[in-house]
Amino acid sequence: MSLEHRALLYGDMESFVEATVPFLESGLEREQAVIAVAREPGLSALRDILKPHGNAVLYFDSARFYEHPVRTLRDYQTIVRQSEPRTVCALAEPVWDGWTELQTREWVRYESLINVVFAHSGARALCPYDTAQLAPRIIEDARRTHPVVVGDGHDGANDAYVDPARLGMGCDRARRFDRPGASEYMAIDGADLHALRAFVAERATAHGLGRRPAQNLVTAVNEVAANALQHGVPPMGLWIWRDGDDLVCEIGDNGFWRPSPLTGFIPPDSALQRGFGLWTVRLLVDLMELRAGWDGTFVRLHVRR
Amino acid sequence: MTRYTAWQARHTLVWPGETAVEGVMETLWSVRRPVRDLRPGDHAWLAYANEDEQRHVAGAFVRDGLLAREKVIYVAGSVKDAVPGVPPGTPDELLAFLPSGPPDGGRFDPVATARAVTDEIDRALAQGFRAIRVAAEMTWALRRPDGLDLLQAFERRIEQAVPPSTQITAVCQLDRRRCHRAELAALRAGHAVLVAPDPEFEDAVLRIVRTFQPAGLSLSGELDASRHSVLDQALASVISGCGTREIHLDLAGLGFIDLGGINLLTEVAGRHADPAHLVLDRVSPQLRAVMETVGWNMLPGLTLGAV
Repeated sequence: MSLEHRALLYGDMESFVEATVPFLESGLEREQAVIAVAREPGLSALRDILKPHGNAVLYFDSARFYEHPVRTLRDYQTIVRQSEPRTVCALAEPVWDGWTELQTREWVRYESLINVVFAHSGARALCPYDTAQLAPRIIEDARRTHPVVVGDGHDGANDAYVDPARLGMGCDRARRFDRPGASEYMAIDGADLHALRAFVAERATAHGLGRRPAQNLVTAVNEVAANALQHGVPPMGLWIWRDGDDLVCEIGDNGFWRPSPLTGFIPPDSALQRGFGLWTVRLLVDLMELRAGWDGTFVRLHVRR
Repeated sequence: MTRYTAWQARHTLVWPGETAVEGVMETLWSVRRPVRDLRPGDHAWLAYANEDEQRHVAGAFVRDGLLAREKVIYVAGSVKDAVPGVPPGTPDELLAFLPSGPPDGGRFDPVATARAVTDEIDRALAQGFRAIRVAAEMTWALRRPDGLDLLQAFERRIEQAVPPSTQITAVCQLDRRRCHRAELAALRAGHAVLVAPDPEFEDAVLRIVRTFQPAGLSLSGELDASRHSVLDQALASVISGCGTREIHLDLAGLGFIDLGGINLLTEVAGRHADPAHLVLDRVSPQLRAVMETVGWNMLPGLTLGAV
């Protein structure tokens, strides 16, 4: 079962409704599990118009659904699994305002990853993009992440689409990896990571992270350090520094690893599957960046207070 | 400071606003010690939940004594009662078995039983034994007429003999399932030491102890990749030993568990043809955060138990 992943370009509420209502109704007709994730006021308009269908459509506000790209992927995957054997018909309108440059890039990557994660789910997804409000480069990115584009004079065919692995590589190239001179360093030299955890916990608390984000950061750091110990090449160590509201931890070793641009983004089936560790790390922190360079392998974790 | 509290003070990751949870209960009037930490003069108490716990704890007390060539005096109701923990090939002179029950329905005789024990102690001392262990299974005595009063009289005699001694260690056992709450409270008050199982594993960072009701393990400290294999071993021995398919893990004292540890638990739960079910009790906030983040569908075979 293949995936249908379309971007819908719309300029006003009328064209939004004209395209989305028939899409959702076609899902009901095909007995798919139908969900509508949209921004206001579009979400309320849909609820009103689709009222005759009662509880058949599940509604979510985009503002709540799109907070963290890897968690959003997890949530869609949960919906797909729980709907089985039915397939999913999803209206999926992302949020594009309020992000930093770095975060925007991760959301673009997310849109592209949908094509991989749900490739065999049989799902149909329609992603509305508001051409009146969104910056032109967001619309350009939508063309690169959706195999099919409709609305606003588009008939479907889209030759701007980029393969997700290639797009991910592009996202990775755009990153900057300088490290401030004021960072603190701790060597990782034994199998026992107790001291490392205590160090990170102390710095996290001092930075003003809440207990749960601080504990999640410690869990994530421990996992990356354990991976470095198991697969990496000494010397290994942890750098930690503050970047405004972010606390940043980077674990590095001297090994040469060639991770795929999709590494750690694809949800595993269970904790038993390879990749569970890195995927969980991505969920536990606000952003994980992986860099495999000539000088070693580096994993950078960001958590915002 | 006991060995355990000293251990705990060193090695528990304590988060701000959260106090380390006591894995082992201590009160003003009694101290809890693993079998291996009992010392001469201890008159200790074991109210076991089932045969598994009796075998594990009383068995270790008997076995450790016999292997160290100490004299072991075992008091029980009748000759039918087996002494737990006796290693094969134990020389007869090391073990004295005193079946002290009167014929069916008769009263327990605390004076005669205590005298039999002290006679045996005197004989062992005369033979040159430097250390003597007394293990008494007394549930049968309690169930006879006036059992509580007579058993307390017996306990007072033991209390006169053991604590002043620098050579005798005693453990009194009762089957908790066959005692009333008030009887247990009254008898327990006469013992200054509660005996606990020896840890399955203990080092500077992690401690694993068997639990018997429910059957499982209690973990405290921190678990990371350097100690997965010891947990795997301990889990395997509980699963093969206790015959139940539901194993409980008491995690109240576990300040940290790594993702590999969670992976291990999931793997153990699914390893057997007839999968064991792992129930996680008193999960710490750190582990709860991870489980809620990844979602329970990622963790087949694991469930959340007592809070």
